[in-house]
Amino acid sequence: MFPWSPEFTWDATHVAFFGALYSVLLAVAGSLALAVWRARRDAREGRAAAIAWHGDFGEMPASARACRHQLTGKAPGRACESGFDCRPCDAHGHFEELGRPAAPLEAADHFGFNLPLDRLYHRGHTWVRPEPDGTLTVGLDDLARRLVGAPERVELPGAGSRLQVNGPAGRITTRGHDVRVLSPVDGTVVAVRGEGAAATLRVDPGGTPDLRHLLSGTEARAWALRELERLQRALGSSELGAALADGGELVADVGAALPRDRYDALLGDMLLEP
Amino acid sequence: MDKRLVTRGLPRVRFGRFLLWLVPWAALLGVGLYAAYLCLAVGLNQTNMDNRFAFGLWIYLDLTVIALGAGAFFTGFLLYVMKKRELAGVINSAVVIGFICYSGAVAILAIDVGQPLRFWFTFWHPNVHSMLTEVTFCLTLYLTVLAIEYLPLVLRNRQLKKRPSMLVFEFELHKVMAVFALVGTFLSFFHQGSLGGLYGVLQGRPFAYRESFLAWPSTFFLFILSAAAAGPSFVLATTWIVSKVSGRSLVKPGVFDLLARVSGSLLLVYVLAKSVDTLVWINHTSFQLGVDPASFYAFAPFGTGALFAEIVLLGLVPALLLALPRTRRDPRLVVPAAFLACAGVAMNRFVMTVQTLALPTLAFDPFLSYTPSWQEVASFLAVVAYGVILYSLSFRYLNLFPHERELAALPEA
Repeated sequence: MFPWSPEFTWDATHVAFFGALYSVLLAVAGSLALAVWRARRDAREGRAAAIAWHGDFGEMPASARACRHQLTGKAPGRACESGFDCRPCDAHGHFEELGRPAAPLEAADHFGFNLPLDRLYHRGHTWVRPEPDGTLTVGLDDLARRLVGAPERVELPGAGSRLQVNGPAGRITTRGHDVRVLSPVDGTVVAVRGEGAAATLRVDPGGTPDLRHLLSGTEARAWALRELERLQRALGSSELGAALADGGELVADVGAALPRDRYDALLGDMLLEP
Repeated sequence: MDKRLVTRGLPRVRFGRFLLWLVPWAALLGVGLYAAYLCLAVGLNQTNMDNRFAFGLWIYLDLTVIALGAGAFFTGFLLYVMKKRELAGVINSAVVIGFICYSGAVAILAIDVGQPLRFWFTFWHPNVHSMLTEVTFCLTLYLTVLAIEYLPLVLRNRQLKKRPSMLVFEFELHKVMAVFALVGTFLSFFHQGSLGGLYGVLQGRPFAYRESFLAWPSTFFLFILSAAAAGPSFVLATTWIVSKVSGRSLVKPGVFDLLARVSGSLLLVYVLAKSVDTLVWINHTSFQLGVDPASFYAFAPFGTGALFAEIVLLGLVPALLLALPRTRRDPRLVVPAAFLACAGVAMNRFVMTVQTLALPTLAFDPFLSYTPSWQEVASFLAVVAYGVILYSLSFRYLNLFPHERELAALPEA
């Protein structure tokens, strides 16, 4: 009913009733329109990847969101609140001032998988190695490669594609399950080398890269230990047999030893796509 | 395909078994749709209602599901406005339940009105002095709000969220959810109240008539209070049922405790208010209307037993069990108490709808009895079947309980 309808009169009952009704209608329609307008703006400005990660990060269990400084014992119990991007995190600077233990020089491979310490690690199981020519090499770490085994399909961004931290840097389909891989850096892909899970990307960061959010040295080792813990918890009653807890080595193709459903969940848990 | 739609890390039964679970409900839905078709195509003579008994099974159960569906608005209010973060674990399920309850009620109303194609008449030619107009407007708007609240859940489906357009819309919609929660609270408050007020203004039905407080009869406030009290109990009860049927832990222990505390406290206030209201009606209102209150309790099927059941057995008892810390922390007591609280609100709506119409109002009136026709029963069972099917699909393909995966990862006690 509208003021121009025949039954409408300008008395208190009509005005109060329809005033309330149209206010509610306006609030609902306005909020909906605002959401649509903002969504179009987000899509236009290419914020979909950041929003996807924001959603995924929010869905991850607290155990998977441990702050890097919790791993090294500087901030017990602290959960990350900035989506594993320490660059805008105020607390990160404070914890960094407390100092870092010196990084061991040699590669450490006694976690049940290889963890070369000549490179930096992202929490989504990718590594980054700065090259002398100013570019960065990005690849999947050994634990992730053992998780995905021999994938059926690996979709990687082609040369010229833009990458952003925690945005997608590829999709892997293995044993019928697909999982996205998070980009550890910002930049433009200049080349793709290798095939399958062993493929690497050469990325031009377009200047001096800010890699403060990546882990190295003792931090990387602490994180690797935590990841093994998470992996063991995710595996539950170990169907891989006694291995990690007893100092063994993670099998080369974890998926081969797991039921389909549990494998899918494991991929999501470890590669941060819940 | 099915597996690709199921949320990662949430084990669900095999697709074939899931289909088997849906078959009987789909059959029930089919029979109900046929009954609804008969009512719409042949006419309301398919029901056992008449001019005297104009509110029957449909309105009684409509009022009940609307009251129980209040869990959606009240949980949203507690989470988004009162910042009770623990309830984030049940809000999705509460929204789905609310949507099912309200959409089911609207569907039944469409059959009951008998001319669903003329639904727009009430919006274009409203009688602003009618409580039913307020109910119609609030119900329609709140169902819209519930659909908007349901949408982000659907858009977070594993496959849909891969589409950037869906993803950004869901994200932005979620940011304005507090507005919808507030609007939903406002709408739900008013239409629960108007439904109660509808009975309170019936001067020709002394059993339901109540004196006014501010602009509304006391039943306006009692309906709001009882719905707000029973809603959280219904969320608790349904979560428990889903947990048992699926064999999974769905929410953290503190959630049941909070729901029980809120429900119990509100139910205590309601029982007190309802008792005062009944005493005022017995000792004042009825005499003002020139009727003997005892005469209304002299008819066999109801009598004072119904009053005792409504206020004490299904009111005070669950209120105390839910409100007292020792009893509400005992799972053997809190769940039955939640069911009793839900039964209490159903009993109240039965008394207001069926008992009110059955009781004679004039000296020569007989005590009326009414048995719903199979078409009425089947139509309503179709709503139940629709609810079970929609909830089952939502539980399978959407992340209804955000903590389910985390709880599954915990070592068993």
